[in-house]
Amino acid sequence: MGILDYFKPVSTWPAEKVRQFLKDKSPQEYNLVDVRQPKEYEGGHLPGAQLIPVGELEGRLKELDPNKPTIAY
Amino acid sequence: MEGGMHAWKGFVSKGIPEAGMTYFSPAHRPEELIGLTWLLEDGSSKFYSEIAKILKDQKAANLFRRLSADEESHKGSLFKIYQEVSGLNSDPGFPGSVVAIEAGEDYMEGGLRLSKALEWAREEKLSGILELSISLEANSHDLYIKMEREVEDRKGKNVFKTLAEMEKEHLNRLSSLFERNLEEAEK
Repeated sequence: MGILDYFKPVSTWPAEKVRQFLKDKSPQEYNLVDVRQPKEYEGGHLPGAQLIPVGELEGRLKELDPNKPTIAY
Repeated sequence: MEGGMHAWKGFVSKGIPEAGMTYFSPAHRPEELIGLTWLLEDGSSKFYSEIAKILKDQKAANLFRRLSADEESHKGSLFKIYQEVSGLNSDPGFPGSVVAIEAGEDYMEGGLRLSKALEWAREEKLSGILELSISLEANSHDLYIKMEREVEDRKGKNVFKTLAEMEKEHLNRLSSLFERNLEEAEK
């Protein structure tokens, strides 16, 4: 068993699929999270995205509804 | 979302091709898990050390030197846990005695090959290197939280908790530098 056998690819959605998903659903149906830094968020973000920088994720998970799908970028 | 904001804006993402992997807990024994983590810390330490040599920004280079030294100390902490868990006072073959090592190749978090990451980093700006390092630290933090849960030994749990906190501190330092870098780019 080699090192790479301990890892598996993270499942991701392409931007087009996310675009379609956001178009089809209302903002009340999902969590949309921007995990970048505040300056990057200020420079532009997906409509309705909530800023939670990756370093703060662990402490702020309660802000996300666990019953809804979460899209992070 | 694949490619992040770049992809959303219609740009082609130029991240490391191998990025996007995560540890998925197939290790059967705690010793194996500790050996794997030791190897990943070793890869990260070498990566940060090489990055410190490449960077012209001295503040950034100093941070990467400190991160490399911290990862080296983590290797020592992990070996101590290994001794506790395995009951062995010495194991000259560690970590090869518990994890299959690929000759001539080092790996980092997310299964990234060190050689590929360095090849990519030499052509990359500081902001890109910081983004990759932030993702490495986020993965390490996550891995140590999982290990704290998986290892039954109480001392081991405490050490993994401390290591998780230290990786979070790294994450915060890298994020601050990344933010400063963005502010300076705006001036």
